[in-house]
Amino acid sequence: MASTPSPAQLDLPGIDDETVPDRPWIVLVWNDPINLMSYVTLVFQKVFGYSLEKATALMLDVHEKGRAVVSSGAREKAEIDVFRLHEHGLWATMQQDD
Amino acid sequence: MARKRAFIPPVQRVRDGYAFNLGDDERQLITRLLTELSQLLMGESDDPRLVRMFPPAYHLADDAEADAEYQRLMREELVASRLTGISTVNAALHSPEPVNEESMVAFVQAINGLRLVLGTMLDVSEDLDPDDIDDDDPLAGEHHLYSFLSWLLDWAVRALGQSISQPDT
Repeated sequence: MASTPSPAQLDLPGIDDETVPDRPWIVLVWNDPINLMSYVTLVFQKVFGYSLEKATALMLDVHEKGRAVVSSGAREKAEIDVFRLHEHGLWATMQQDD
Repeated sequence: MARKRAFIPPVQRVRDGYAFNLGDDERQLITRLLTELSQLLMGESDDPRLVRMFPPAYHLADDAEADAEYQRLMREELVASRLTGISTVNAALHSPEPVNEESMVAFVQAINGLRLVLGTMLDVSEDLDPDDIDDDDPLAGEHHLYSFLSWLLDWAVRALGQSISQPDT
């Protein structure tokens, strides 16, 4: 028997649109066959100010594991990071950390 | 074409900036490709050749709405940023003086943009060896072009890498 949704259940889809403020967002860069390894390292140095060592380690993570978390923080900051990586042609996405 | 010049770096760090060691034919080729890229960027937004230029920002299915919003707000900005970069590169390529770091960063972004479009058209894979491409492949020319741009980009990154390193923030 189908039950009539209670008001609380009707509110559920609205809750999906909210983001939990305490969990940070992570920015991921995914491996792709086009971007050169040297270029990806340079972009990490340029966009995030990472040292050559840190940028190289992250690039190798992307290359070997298929993806790497390159930054994290508030949603607005993560969006700016993603945009800057997109400006440089990297395949970057973001998600809320679990 | 690229191989013959390999002993002279096409892009070099010099005392007061970065210098291009390119022939007129190479400058014209790059300018022409960038003009085509500008036209592509200003054309239909669902052109499949542009798919790698505008990746999703939110990859989770649950965030589809957020991604639609991101694309709506940021895509135009991304196009504008790319077009500005292309203008900077066109000026830099014809500059008789060494160019600054900002111009060289615009250069690597633009050359990489060309590679993203060409690489998408050619459906390149990680283990693609340019020597495996037959001369009678209908896209042999595009494969050579892709190799040329990769070579050029690699030198430009090397030139920048000598000076761009920054401490951890």
